Amino acid sequence: MKGASLVPTGEATLGPFFPPRYVDEGANDLTVFEGRKAKGEAIEIHGRVLQEDGTPLENLVVEIWQADAGGVFRHPADPRHAQADPDFLGWGRAATDANGNYRFKTVLPGAPEGRAAHINFMVMFSGLMRILKTTMFFDNVADPVLLAVPSSRRELLIAGKNRNIYEFNIRLRGENETPFFDD
Amino acid sequence: MATVIQPRDERTQPSRIVPGYPQTPLRNPRQPLIQRAPTLSELTGPLDAARRLRLLGGDIAGHGEKQAIGQLIHLKVRVLDEDGAPVGGAMVEIWQANGAGRYIHPNDDDHAPVDVNFYGAARLVTDASGAFELRTVKPGAYPVPTNDGWWRPPHVHFSLFGRVWLSRLVTQMYFPGEPLNAQDRILNAVPDAAARDRLVARYVPPTGNPPDALVFEHQIVLRGRASTPGQP
Repeated sequence: MKGASLVPTGEATLGPFFPPRYVDEGANDLTVFEGRKAKGEAIEIHGRVLQEDGTPLENLVVEIWQADAGGVFRHPADPRHAQADPDFLGWGRAATDANGNYRFKTVLPGAPEGRAAHINFMVMFSGLMRILKTTMFFDNVADPVLLAVPSSRRELLIAGKNRNIYEFNIRLRGENETPFFDD
Repeated sequence: MATVIQPRDERTQPSRIVPGYPQTPLRNPRQPLIQRAPTLSELTGPLDAARRLRLLGGDIAGHGEKQAIGQLIHLKVRVLDEDGAPVGGAMVEIWQANGAGRYIHPNDDDHAPVDVNFYGAARLVTDASGAFELRTVKPGAYPVPTNDGWWRPPHVHFSLFGRVWLSRLVTQMYFPGEPLNAQDRILNAVPDAAARDRLVARYVPPTGNPPDALVFEHQIVLRGRASTPGQP
């Protein structure tokens, strides 16, 4: 359809009534896909999501997307797609509990071509008129997306580490506000 | 199979902070959002989410003695990209209030009655032409607990997975001719009138097929267009 040019549909808030059943059991565990184990080092990501006044947010939806342990994305646009781990979906969804905490189990991603190792995050919630997008890094190293962030705020995108558990807190607004990207 | 994502016209998207919607100033960033050039990481995304999440089909109105109360409707939706090309195989999640304006959700303590035959959640995948159909009842309007006269007009929520991470969309669809549309703070957060109109489904005059339902059509456009190899 050459010449067609449609305008992307307007976003809207998820609202307060996203069905709990849409956060399917096991959707936050990327280490297993259809009963088979993904390759690589198993890690956990824990974090807390707060709004401006410091109130933790419950039932907020967090989604992640990442490369596999070899740094390959399960998607045909990746030139190395054929080498992607067949047992790694790369995507997961979690909801925060009453204390604002979410958790994922996944594998440590490899560094994709031209990027440092990272995990893409999306936050959807009542009162968020648009999806908020950010990126978690493992180290403060050269990466084109991290370098786009003012240096004084980069540390906010680096996960804390305690053995195989990484901590990535998300502050939607206010002190130590998480840097979000305008895509 | 590469996808190009360009910035959107801001006027076609909702403002992040909405007057009269008290959660919005507490939850949306104060700092300016950061511009970045998309890389392969943002220009890929989950294509197999339906292999992880349980599909629920697109018929949520129930049948026979289990049919939900309300006006039975068929919603015919097409999902396209910015080139107008169909987005087939896209996972779509749908949720809505029942005919009386009540959700099955712990957060909904409205006085409107629960309908035991209506849960209000569908999850399905678009066909090769980007189409899907939903058989449901028309959702009711309901008051928002701001207690200042704001009622949500009848609407249906959609969450869609496109071909890439930046195509992910959460949106709402409205019904034509509803008096509450003109005052709804969420619909009217989109500044551009034409963009707001595109959030409203099109009423299709009855033809007798199906005999028992009103038909509405709707179009959803996900971000992105196919890049032409060898061209910028």
